[in-house]
Amino acid sequence: MGEATRIRTVCRGCHGGCGVIAHVKDGKVIKVEGDPKSPISHGTLCSKGLAITQLAYHPDRVLYPMKKTDKGWKRISWDEALDTLVGKFKEVIKEYGPESIVIGQGTGRDYESHLYRFANLLGTPNVLTAGHMCYVSRVAATLITCGNLPVCDYEGEPQCIVMWACNPQWTNPDEYKGEVFWRAYTRGAKLIVIDPRKGFLANRADLWLQLRPGTDAALALGFHHVIIEEGLYDTGFAEQYIHGWDAFVERVNEYPLDRVEEITWVKQDLIREAARMYATTKPACINWGVPTEQTLNCTDCTRLLTGLMAITGNLDVPGGNVFFVPPPVRTVSEFSRHRDLPPEQRNKRLGGNQYKLASRVALITPKAAWDAILTGKPYPLKAGLLCGSNPVTTRANASEVHEALKKLEFLVVIDFFLTPTVELAHMFLPAGTWLEQNHVADNWKRHGYILARQKAVDIGECWQDHKIFLELGKRMGQEWWDTVEDALDYLLEPSNLTWEQFKERGYLKGEMSYRKYEEKGFSTPTGKVELYSTILEKWGYDPLPCYREIPESPISRPDLLDRYPYILNAGLRTPVFFHSELRMIPWLREIRPDPIVEIHPDTAKERGIRERQWVYIETPRGRIRQRATLNGGIDPRVIVAEHGWWFPEIKDPGHGWDIANVNMLTDNDPESHDPAMGSTSLRVLLCSISPCEDE
Amino acid sequence: MKKISLIIFQRDCMGCHACEVACKQEHKLDVGPRFIKVIEKSPVYIPIYCHHCARPPCRDACPEDAIFRDERGIVHIKEERCIGCKACIEACPFGAMQFDEEREVAVKCDLCYERLKNNEEPACSKACPTRCILWGDMKKISEEIQERLLQQQMI
Repeated sequence: MGEATRIRTVCRGCHGGCGVIAHVKDGKVIKVEGDPKSPISHGTLCSKGLAITQLAYHPDRVLYPMKKTDKGWKRISWDEALDTLVGKFKEVIKEYGPESIVIGQGTGRDYESHLYRFANLLGTPNVLTAGHMCYVSRVAATLITCGNLPVCDYEGEPQCIVMWACNPQWTNPDEYKGEVFWRAYTRGAKLIVIDPRKGFLANRADLWLQLRPGTDAALALGFHHVIIEEGLYDTGFAEQYIHGWDAFVERVNEYPLDRVEEITWVKQDLIREAARMYATTKPACINWGVPTEQTLNCTDCTRLLTGLMAITGNLDVPGGNVFFVPPPVRTVSEFSRHRDLPPEQRNKRLGGNQYKLASRVALITPKAAWDAILTGKPYPLKAGLLCGSNPVTTRANASEVHEALKKLEFLVVIDFFLTPTVELAHMFLPAGTWLEQNHVADNWKRHGYILARQKAVDIGECWQDHKIFLELGKRMGQEWWDTVEDALDYLLEPSNLTWEQFKERGYLKGEMSYRKYEEKGFSTPTGKVELYSTILEKWGYDPLPCYREIPESPISRPDLLDRYPYILNAGLRTPVFFHSELRMIPWLREIRPDPIVEIHPDTAKERGIRERQWVYIETPRGRIRQRATLNGGIDPRVIVAEHGWWFPEIKDPGHGWDIANVNMLTDNDPESHDPAMGSTSLRVLLCSISPCEDE
Repeated sequence: MKKISLIIFQRDCMGCHACEVACKQEHKLDVGPRFIKVIEKSPVYIPIYCHHCARPPCRDACPEDAIFRDERGIVHIKEERCIGCKACIEACPFGAMQFDEEREVAVKCDLCYERLKNNEEPACSKACPTRCILWGDMKKISEEIQERLLQQQMI
């Protein structure tokens, strides 16, 4: 028994990035704690990160590859697993072409470079991620509007923070961590919160705008209206750096505040006050969250928020929304070899002609994949490889997802546990947790850092995801490296550091400079912020942003109101789980044992529902059960339900995937998609709620 | 010896539960005892934790003198003396006293006694993203509270 050694590494419990010290004794991690030297988290660590030992050493974790047989899952060797997969993929490629293989990931934490490289060199354009409605959609819309994703510069001391549909202290919205936000806020910044639900931040905010779920784009148009009408914008910037200003102003004029109030339920005076506060308190930043992307207004809402940053002169200035400069390393895009996907293959991307913005960032909307599997049109998908993905619980219209994945001829899933999605697969490959990886972490983010995630231990026969893609790639005859670390040396090469050297350094920060547009302009076709998008115009979409009514709302579907009188705001987050993960972790499940649906006390009374009672939530697609919690901080017309639920303790192969899974209720009809991005409307539906009879 | 206290500035608790898991890990606790626990009453969050009272009702209620307060003001349980009667649980006005059903003894926060010995801060406080878990001598804690109240324009 030796002393514990301390290994400095980086968490990946959510989108990762928080610094960790792992205590390793006798080849086992016995404890983790926050790394005070971390530039991201400064020593703090959340419940998910702190519970990693219970995940890594969980008795149900599968530590070796398996294949499904008539008698259930059977352990196999890595050689057999890889050879089977490669053999099957080669068969499909020969018979149907590489496009008949779908490669997918979930939230994709730091292995997208490897996953995409594998897919591109395989020749398939069909990569299925969460990106159509989460983060990548935001990146895509900002790329065509201002050339890059503008991120809050919390260390630049913003004087006003707009928390737009986000709760960074409970969840991880990619670049942001609650801890840096909190520092900026407690230095005295004003706080405006846009949220249908009164959470901790809304309660603390200077102004809280309780909007109707899904109407963010209309509210953003209201902000623009006030700022333009009252001349609060940066006229110099507008003249010099905005493309299509006059046309944009004309569009904004279509949204006077009385119309915006009618759409959003937010009082005109409050919109005016908030817009004034944001426009006149300098510098100010907008911290946006994923609900802005999970409607058919995804692209336009992102473009409108970018527009607010731009016209108020808060783009790329200290304390505003900035373009962080990455350290000099190879980008995810370069590593992924996107350029090597042949144009004829790119043209075959499912839904590519319809969702051109999604296609630009190399992904498909899931519906296109399910359709191809179920109908064989426009061509069949025959095989799939999913990494860290549980679409049965996390993608819209779960019943269809389940049916499609069940029908797929050959499915392999890389994961830690037998999830409901794994149970539909033919083979399981065991992934390493973040304690079991060497990686240049956060390289895909746009916050200006890369971080050394250093392996603390090996567990069972698990391989880090990167190694799985590397070994598969080599067997497919693709160009890879001998080892994971050799690939990291290649990634790091421009910085003149090897992986071994970088590991000692812990992290690298890009050299930041502000107002880069003064010298270089913006990376768009016109070199300006394209509030009028020449790219969308070229692709045949409306070049100006607008608000489209939510397809299933009291306004668009009054016919449904008798049966489904409430607005379901699906996707409530919890601080202890990440999407569909972690329900099997004892420390975390003890804190949140049940799926929670929040309802207003008046609504509860009206429906005869008591606190903690199990209730049915029903939409035109299906019915689920969750446990009611009364919350006076939501509108009585709105119901707010958690997402991602399945029950690892239910041992039959379905693991209760359809009991409390909010995506049994969501829709993936193309009519409800964002026209350019294919974002699914995961957030806003019509529903009914009633007490369970057996309660 | 200087007394040591731990107070949670409740106004700044945002219900993330990081403290709870940090505590579980530090004390190698399984499901069951929760030395620190945050009750969610959104948008307000109420941390339940041992206040290490100067006159601890748990100590006074214990029929076996198994509970004592050390020279630094930390309230401990001598587990070998605990008979598992749960009188302390009833006596604690904060609901902080816990019970280990496996071993049938009362268990509680020891203010991370072992960490303090190594000059490390309590595990809960270290994890907290809003740094609302304040600890140290009362002078230091009072100053920190005052600073927060001023910062938040509460005074």
